[in-house]
Amino acid sequence: MADILDIMDIEQPTAEISRESILHGDKAKKKYVTTKTVKRPEGMHREVFALLYNDSNKDLPPLMPTDTGKGYKQTKAKLGMRKVRKWMWAPFINPARKDNAVFHHWKRVSDESKEYPFAQFNKQVSIPSYTESEYNQYLKSEDWTQAETDHLMDLCQRFDLRFIVIHDRWDRAAFRDRSVEDLKERYYGICAILSKVKTNPWSNIVTTVNGEKRSYQYDAEHERKRKEQLRRLFDRTQEQIEEEQMLLTELKKIEARKRERERKTQDLQKLISRADTGNTPAINQVANNTADSHTPSNTTTNIARRHDRKLHKKKLTSQQRPIRTVEAVTVEWSGIKFPEARSTGVWLRSQRMKLPPGVGQRKTKAIEQELRQMNIDVAPTPTEPVCKHFNELRSDLALILDLKNALGACEYELQSLRHQYEALNPGKTLTIPASICNTNEETKPLGEIIDVVGSPSALNSTV
Amino acid sequence: MSLPTDFGPDSGGRVKGLVIVKPIVYGNVARYFGKKREEDGHTHQWTVYVKPYTNEDMSAYIKKIHFKLHESYANPNRIVMKPPYELTETGWGEFEIVIKIYFHDPNERPVTLYHILKLFQSPVTEGVQPPIGRALVSESYEEIVFQEPTQLMQHLLNSVKPITNGPWTHDSDFEDKKVKILEKIKVEQSKARIEIAELKEKLQLAKETIAKFKEEIAKKKNSNTGNAMILI
Repeated sequence: MADILDIMDIEQPTAEISRESILHGDKAKKKYVTTKTVKRPEGMHREVFALLYNDSNKDLPPLMPTDTGKGYKQTKAKLGMRKVRKWMWAPFINPARKDNAVFHHWKRVSDESKEYPFAQFNKQVSIPSYTESEYNQYLKSEDWTQAETDHLMDLCQRFDLRFIVIHDRWDRAAFRDRSVEDLKERYYGICAILSKVKTNPWSNIVTTVNGEKRSYQYDAEHERKRKEQLRRLFDRTQEQIEEEQMLLTELKKIEARKRERERKTQDLQKLISRADTGNTPAINQVANNTADSHTPSNTTTNIARRHDRKLHKKKLTSQQRPIRTVEAVTVEWSGIKFPEARSTGVWLRSQRMKLPPGVGQRKTKAIEQELRQMNIDVAPTPTEPVCKHFNELRSDLALILDLKNALGACEYELQSLRHQYEALNPGKTLTIPASICNTNEETKPLGEIIDVVGSPSALNSTV
Repeated sequence: MSLPTDFGPDSGGRVKGLVIVKPIVYGNVARYFGKKREEDGHTHQWTVYVKPYTNEDMSAYIKKIHFKLHESYANPNRIVMKPPYELTETGWGEFEIVIKIYFHDPNERPVTLYHILKLFQSPVTEGVQPPIGRALVSESYEEIVFQEPTQLMQHLLNSVKPITNGPWTHDSDFEDKKVKILEKIKVEQSKARIEIAELKEKLQLAKETIAKFKEEIAKKKNSNTGNAMILI
């Protein structure tokens, strides 16, 4: 009670007996009044305080209405200003009807003289007509008798070319059963012939383009096939649908695998063609350039194809070349290409040891892992020789990684080839040289390894 | 020594083919108070520095060195104009200090070093533990390479004088490190070369085996179709 009086700024009757007065007496009441007038209590938000006490009633809303304009108020709809137009119950004739039937409906007196408005929607299809002599001259058919043709034209007229209905009402007693396509074919055939020989009003199927008459050609055969196709599609069983789905997903998988394999083969060939360059100094120069320009990112098919072609050329020469040429392999070609060209100015030696951005994160991690295993600091003391050899070492490590990957891909290919062979030739198999499968093992003497079933090895002679 | 030429305001003319290398050592030493300091919680006093590797006065060519400390320090950008290029502070944590070296010739861009301030001994220490009572040292060797310096810079670089007459030593034996790491790298390199050769060999073998397999399959296919033809 007291709170409400406070809020409403009404002076409290002193004599009133409230809970406050009983509990605290005058003291409590006085304190309460002072907080109200002086300032807001600690912790109370200003906005909340302003809701409870506004400064000396200044901001009370005005009592006089200030809105004298119409504002958002809607004026009353002005109805009934015009005279009411009369309606009358009147008979009418639909001109679309041939039987002169008279019906009644309500219409305005002012519209009395007007025609029945919906009569205009009665569109008539113009069906070509022909005389007996015209039929004999142009329309004779081995398949169709004149009586049957007449029946068709009659039905076309009656059912406004709704061929489904025509087909339904076809006089099967007098004539043999014909499909919708047969009926359409005959009808549009007649139209096309007649439009050529006569000038006629059934222009709905004949259009004139550049002064030349063009008639609609109905392709019955296509329509039959189309419907057959739809029918078959509709008649599939659930199992067939599922099988089809399954086959489609399989196809996708196979194609993805094929693409993956092709990509790997290309990478591999690139790598081999790079590795090959170590063997012949003549090619070395050229191939070094391509190896230089090659970064892991630009594996476009274009480059791959170029490598491919080169590889083919090289294969011819590589046949008679001995394989074991360890000393030749030490020719510099890099797994990582460190930026060589430095501009003038000041730089820090350790900057030269930064891996170029072309090297992927995975490869970087792998190289660092290798270095840790070798107990080599990933950031060794940067002197010129250390930088040079450190970079070469990391480049070699990167190359080893690449070669190992390539070997893995080769192994995969070999196994898939072996499966192919086994499928073609049940009971027999091809032996994959042991050293390829087990990349961790030491290489055995070559003569033992090369043992391909069935063919005298050209390799054995070279060892 | 008088200047041979007037370098002018723009000493852009560079000495072709000349490379001057100035080895330096940078890092920090740190000393533990023994307890946490009451007023700010700091535990260590440390000094970060850039020193010449050889006994020379770097102020001949270095204009100033800018140490950028952690942002929690009052004005973290500290600039040292004269040698010794070092900065002593106290703190409780390790962080990366960016050291930027400016040269007298404004045409030579400043170089930036990054040093992780080290206060605490790693639990697993390599090598020998530093003697008790000595401060912890974490320093790195670096070489500043002046590739085709400007004529002014060349002049400055060639006119350095030694700092002291006494011996100039470092806490870390970088000469030893250089030799050892180089040896180790070379050993691993030769191992890697052998492995590469082996891998290449295997690849070659794999490649030829693939070709052989393909040949076999093709042969098989041909004979199969041939048989089929006969049967028909």
